[in-house]
Amino acid sequence: MKRYKPFGCIVDGLDSLREYERIAGFLQIARRALANNAFDGVLTMVGVIMGQWVGGVERPGTVILTGIATSISIGVSGLWGAYLAESAERGRELADLEKISLTDLGETKIGRASRVAVVVVSLVDGLSPFLSSLIVLTPFFLASLIDNLLVSYVLSMGLALLSLFVLGMYLGHISGRSLVGYGLRTAFAGVVAIVITRLLPTE
Amino acid sequence: MGNLRRLVLDVLKPLDPSIVDLVQLLAEVEGVDGTNISIYEIDRRVENAKITIEGHDLRYDEIVRIIEENGGSVHSIDEVAAGRMLIEDVATPQD
Repeated sequence: MKRYKPFGCIVDGLDSLREYERIAGFLQIARRALANNAFDGVLTMVGVIMGQWVGGVERPGTVILTGIATSISIGVSGLWGAYLAESAERGRELADLEKISLTDLGETKIGRASRVAVVVVSLVDGLSPFLSSLIVLTPFFLASLIDNLLVSYVLSMGLALLSLFVLGMYLGHISGRSLVGYGLRTAFAGVVAIVITRLLPTE
Repeated sequence: MGNLRRLVLDVLKPLDPSIVDLVQLLAEVEGVDGTNISIYEIDRRVENAKITIEGHDLRYDEIVRIIEENGGSVHSIDEVAAGRMLIEDVATPQD
């Protein structure tokens, strides 16, 4: 008798994803895209927020609107760019393989794995900068609770440095080296961005 | 129609999915008792495999479908055997 599995389709989906990963090998690319684009997202938002701080913007609504617009743009940029680049690269690889094996591989596991790789890498490329930049913006969503815009600005930069530190630790974990060492290195990039933008002339 | 008991296929396939995955998928087909894949030529992206399948009632179409689903193409059918018992190739003076 066939037993009912409550999460059967999820388990099957994950198994297929694992199999496609074995064939197309997209995990490493997605991991690199995650770290690289999340780093971009945080530092871009540092630039946007510091620019408004230095420029004397005093309405949290303005910071939020500019911030969200930037997050959307950087997310769309990541998604679109990765989709175009990845589909072109994967398409060429598949065409090469089809030429060697004299077979149409589009409807085989290899063809599907290639398409799944494009979707996964594009999503990671788009979502990682979008979400990481929104994290930095969080103190402005809570501006009515914090009730002091300067504190929101400072908290936002603190959150950016913390995000960069965690991202560095993740890279340290991947490379099997010092978590704190990597964390400090990525956080230092944030400090450099903050200091340079703070020194910009306001008039 | 007599039951198919042995199939030896010459297949060109990409390196991925690997023969470890393919041999297990073929072994799960109904009517298959055992299967073997040996590689006799390997290239940068593809490999030539000799696939031997034995069973009590092999489903040729299903076997080919699985090979093709995994990116392989059957170049030739090198040996077949069917019937109530398995008959080996007999040596003749011409051999």
